[in-house]
Amino acid sequence: MTNGMKWILLIAELLTVGSALIVAINPNILYSAVFLLFSFLGIAVMYLFAGADFLAGVQVVVYVGGVTILILFAIMLTQWLYRLKLKDIGSKFVVPGVVLALGLVPFLHRGLTQLGKMVQAAPPEKMAEFAASPKTAMIGKALLTNYVLPFEAVTILLLGALVGAVWLARPKA
Amino acid sequence: MPVNSALFAQSLTQWTQGTWFASVPIWVWALVSALIIIYMLALPFGGIATYVERKIAADLQDRIGPNRVGPLGIFQFAADAIKMISKEDYVPPGGDRFLFNIAPVLVVVGSCAGFVALPLGQYLVAGDINIGVFYIMAITTIIAPGILLGSWASENKWSLLGGLRSAAQIVSYEIPVALSIVPIILISGSLQIGEIVKQQGWHDHFWNVFHNPFTFISFFILFVGGLAETNRIPFDLPEAESELVSGFNTEFSGMRFGLYALGEFVDVFVMCALVTSLYLGGWQIPFLELDKFWVTLPSGLIALIHVSFFLGKTFLLVFVVMWLRWTLPRLRVDQLMGLCWKGMVPVALFNILGTAIWMWAFKGQSMLQVVSGLFSGGGGSH
Repeated sequence: MTNGMKWILLIAELLTVGSALIVAINPNILYSAVFLLFSFLGIAVMYLFAGADFLAGVQVVVYVGGVTILILFAIMLTQWLYRLKLKDIGSKFVVPGVVLALGLVPFLHRGLTQLGKMVQAAPPEKMAEFAASPKTAMIGKALLTNYVLPFEAVTILLLGALVGAVWLARPKA
Repeated sequence: MPVNSALFAQSLTQWTQGTWFASVPIWVWALVSALIIIYMLALPFGGIATYVERKIAADLQDRIGPNRVGPLGIFQFAADAIKMISKEDYVPPGGDRFLFNIAPVLVVVGSCAGFVALPLGQYLVAGDINIGVFYIMAITTIIAPGILLGSWASENKWSLLGGLRSAAQIVSYEIPVALSIVPIILISGSLQIGEIVKQQGWHDHFWNVFHNPFTFISFFILFVGGLAETNRIPFDLPEAESELVSGFNTEFSGMRFGLYALGEFVDVFVMCALVTSLYLGGWQIPFLELDKFWVTLPSGLIALIHVSFFLGKTFLLVFVVMWLRWTLPRLRVDQLMGLCWKGMVPVALFNILGTAIWMWAFKGQSMLQVVSGLFSGGGGSH
């Protein structure tokens, strides 16, 4: 990785973590939603550096184009939600929140160290080759061969969600 | 690290291999190509498009239109830009200054970033990303939050109504647009726009719009859906002058308004260029392939011809967009949603199924190949 690329990665990481911090501590919930958008964009850039270009595209389409818009919609259409301040929720969630966050640390540490070992074990030229290869075709083949059952299960779930949405939106007779 | 994701000017690095250019760090190239895209493609196009739109509007309404600044008034856009830059930087007192500032920027960034993956000619592309189509679909979604946040930050009821309409409209119409790109991906087996265009040569299966009857329909769905995604008439409900003053950009003035207008025009160009690349053969010349010509042309001339064909097709579509503005009345909100969910989405799904069946039945041949196969006696010739 060249020096310039390292800087770009560092900026993306700072964008992700910094925005996530603002999401968590900003008293204005609309600002939280806006910075969630930047955090999602930073994660997409990190996917690019991991060689997962298709996943980066999905990240932007689903999270920036879909989820963030829906969150903004919900905030703008709900009066009391926009006026909601962090201190209105009260401090009763602070202690469980901190405990949960600290409880996640060992799992994250274990996962990351194992990933690091796998990366170090792989020959660098193989890694470069893998990073350069197009992922879209691989994902497609994997979905329609090894993972065809989960894929179909998810499609049925999504179809059910669509039908449910239509049923909810129908005028009551 | 290999730059497979090519957001960083992949083709520039390939082109410069072995020369002193290669020692220049890649982020310099990224910056240079971003500046080239913004200053040599996006801004001139956005500026001239405002002039052309006013001229076309004037012609269609039997008026004269801008004619004072420069010959035939072609420097009108520069005068407008100078005027907008020199205006007061005004933020409504009750508004949200931070969001008001970043919202137009999101719109411009989202639309200009689409240029990266558009192949202007055979080798003329900032980054021929292997998920090109998907990249453009993804990066242009940043426009929707830009419009929504700008409308909220204005602290104005008309703006907010326009912004909410715009977001609902963009999110809905993204579905038929994405679904009508899928037949092309089925045909070409690639998301890379350069590859998709390359397969549309005369000796290959010609333009995708004539590949089979289903792609012919989905071309129109993509174009109409693109109109709705770029908030153009007959889908300009977010602006709706007769109901919402000026919609989401009511409170914006000066260059911030200019950025919104620029973003819209650039978005129109990107949409038309995408339709051209996917369905109308991009830089391909109809009935002719310069690579297989009987005389060898200099590569610079070939590139020039390719670019002019690409821009010609794209500008034809842009002209249709501007022409529709003075032809069709605006839809109502319920009509808009009804057209999307009851009309375009089912037809687009039907097109995907139809194209898949066609690919299976005729082994991937286009209509023209099937017909020419009949005359040459048996079997596909390609």
